[in-house]
Amino acid sequence: MRAVAIAGIGGIRFGKYGDRSLRVLGEEACIKAIRDAGMKPRDIQAAYVGNLAQWEWGQGLLIGHSVLREIGITKIPITRVENGCATGSNAFHEAWYRVATGACDIALAFGVEQMTVASSEKILNVFTGRQHAERDGDMGNSAPGLFALMARRHMEEFGTTRNQMAMVAVKNRKYGARNPEAQLTRSVTVEEVLKDRMICDPLTLPQCCPRGDGAAAAVLVAAKIARKYSSVPISVAASVQVSGTYPDDRSYTCFDTDVRAAEAAYKMAGLGPGDIDLAEVHDCFSVAEIVHYEDLGFCRKGDGGRFVEEGHSGIGGKIPVNTSGGLLSKGHVIGATGISQIIELVRQLRGQAGGRQVEGARVALQHNGGGFIHTDTASCFIHILRK
Amino acid sequence: MKTRRFIEDGWFHDFGHGLALTGGRCPACGRIYFPTKQVCPACFATDQEKIPLSHKGILHTFACSHMGPSGLPTPYPIGFIELPEGIKLFSLLTRCDPWDRVLKVGMEMEMVIETIRTDEDGNEIVGYKFRPSGEIPS
Repeated sequence: MRAVAIAGIGGIRFGKYGDRSLRVLGEEACIKAIRDAGMKPRDIQAAYVGNLAQWEWGQGLLIGHSVLREIGITKIPITRVENGCATGSNAFHEAWYRVATGACDIALAFGVEQMTVASSEKILNVFTGRQHAERDGDMGNSAPGLFALMARRHMEEFGTTRNQMAMVAVKNRKYGARNPEAQLTRSVTVEEVLKDRMICDPLTLPQCCPRGDGAAAAVLVAAKIARKYSSVPISVAASVQVSGTYPDDRSYTCFDTDVRAAEAAYKMAGLGPGDIDLAEVHDCFSVAEIVHYEDLGFCRKGDGGRFVEEGHSGIGGKIPVNTSGGLLSKGHVIGATGISQIIELVRQLRGQAGGRQVEGARVALQHNGGGFIHTDTASCFIHILRK
Repeated sequence: MKTRRFIEDGWFHDFGHGLALTGGRCPACGRIYFPTKQVCPACFATDQEKIPLSHKGILHTFACSHMGPSGLPTPYPIGFIELPEGIKLFSLLTRCDPWDRVLKVGMEMEMVIETIRTDEDGNEIVGYKFRPSGEIPS
């Protein structure tokens, strides 16, 4: 494998874009990323698009080809990938792999999704997979349900409190208010979070990420040519993908996928959790972020609640987490989410994060978990980026 | 006319003591699964033996959902039940009002066969739920 760098990024603010087509959303992000890299469309040699479920929302096939044709990218291999909530990260990982193996020098990864055109019931059905009747939506299962179950067990085993979980939402919404690309831009208090509408006890509405429409893109290049396109190329020090084991015999307070992906990513980068200056992690629900702190090695197992309460995951703390505002502020735009996390970290490492800048950041970790089967996330991607 | 049907054919079987959940035991390694599988994911052996799963298990965790599919009134409590066969089973919980006072992590739960929800025509879809074991609280 050879070294790979990120030469360009481009995203659009997540929100409701029911009046625009999925294709147009994708185009906008790709145009921005290619411009950011100072390239022409013909420079792109391969493209991967992350898109979860357009056939379900009724928007047709070949979204990658449709988007890229409009902006002058044709002939090259174009591949759509799906990997649950980590779909965007999968597109990024595949682009990285194609460049890292030397198959090409320049690859584009983008993710696009338009979810606000679908009904909540349809989304519930798509998200629970419909392949395992004993745990699908018709049995009363749901994404908030699975995380509420994890929250309760974590409270029971480690003394994690409702307040601590609410603090994750408070922190992320605070930073979201400083991010012009976040969907929710109003900060909230612990009291507001706890008094809001209950979604699945113990998780209230602000502790559950909103959905949305949007797109995000990144251009990856062989490190040896990176300086040609970017004055501050960001190295991809690790790119790791794992899938779940769905254990029955462990306490439901841990993502087995996280633990294995983190171990592999730290090894690949030659780094440890102590070297990470900031991270974007998959905070689909408040409790998820707490569990990720632990499973990624930011703190000991069981200490996640105290980690946020004591400010260690805030800007100025040990490892600032989700300075973009996270999924809880940006919304979870499935196909685009993973690359949107990468965009935030590239901005931070370039020193372009404005009012939420982590000073002196040199190493950043991105974590994106995808889908849920039984007791485990189905997929997990971790990228470590380095200035 | 309204009908009642099981949510999945093959989940329940009367092994001689009333309906029980049907597990599949691998003839090669002895691991037990629910629902039964074509092959054992651990050793790839075929021909799982159908066996009754325990009616009782331990409540590993619980929550209360204020959202859900149509035909299932909210709020409703859910949980993971640990069966002695080594299976963690997602389940609706029942007969545990008020759920936040009655339910405790680690308590013994017992399976009941009940209506899970109704379909768009009002037909009842029947499956398993778990309730606190022993006397039904009044």
